[in-house]
Amino acid sequence: MQNATANQRKTGAAGGLWLLQVISGALLIAVLGLHMFVHHFVVEGGLRDFQDVLAYVASPLVVAVELVFLIVVTTHAMLGLRAILLDLGPSPKVEQAINIILTVIGMGTAGYGIYLALALHALAR
Amino acid sequence: MQDVHSTQDSARPKRPLLAWFDVRSSRVGGWAFALNRLTGLGLVLYLFLHLVILSLLLRGEAGWDAFIRLARSPLFLTLDAVLIFGIIYHGLNGIRVGMVGMGYGVRLQRALFWSLMAVGLALLAASVWLVFTV
Repeated sequence: MQNATANQRKTGAAGGLWLLQVISGALLIAVLGLHMFVHHFVVEGGLRDFQDVLAYVASPLVVAVELVFLIVVTTHAMLGLRAILLDLGPSPKVEQAINIILTVIGMGTAGYGIYLALALHALAR
Repeated sequence: MQDVHSTQDSARPKRPLLAWFDVRSSRVGGWAFALNRLTGLGLVLYLFLHLVILSLLLRGEAGWDAFIRLARSPLFLTLDAVLIFGIIYHGLNGIRVGMVGMGYGVRLQRALFWSLMAVGLALLAASVWLVFTV
């Protein structure tokens, strides 16, 4: 009975993560589309020069949107890596290690990205 | 296209990574799945690379503008086109995977896949044109 409950919980958690993967993917289509358009498709030469970047990140709204993008893309990326690694059929111990390592990598990536965005915003002001 | 929920499949191949490239099965779903994973891995690597490149901004104008000159070379623009292909394919196939995984359009997923790929081809052509002309 306990095992059955544990399995149900695991299935529930896996289903929840899969749904998070889908939701973050759907959000990404919108935010990444906006990112590509604003940063690459309407800018002459496809990339902003230094002064243009600073003028762009001076707006708190822009920084907020970029931070949402960063967090969503990192979440989606780590969940995707997890799905691939779990497909290799790891033991429960290895699976736990995978979860911890990917959480650390994800937090590190998001943390560095947040630092970068805020540092550039400070530079622009 | 029976691989929408691959991580929950009970019949897991013995060598799952090699199974991505098993061409003996000519089903479109198998190729769509493998390409989805490969583009996903590529995009994760690009995420890290993108943050490293953006770090150049902290070095000031000289560092960033030198990179910009390099990034406007034909080789970089070609790599941009490859990146855009990865984004468009992964995004559009992801729409199909999400829909089918939630039970929408299961019977129509082959048509859904090809319809999305047609949209993707148009988006790719427009994007590549913008990359090389803007």
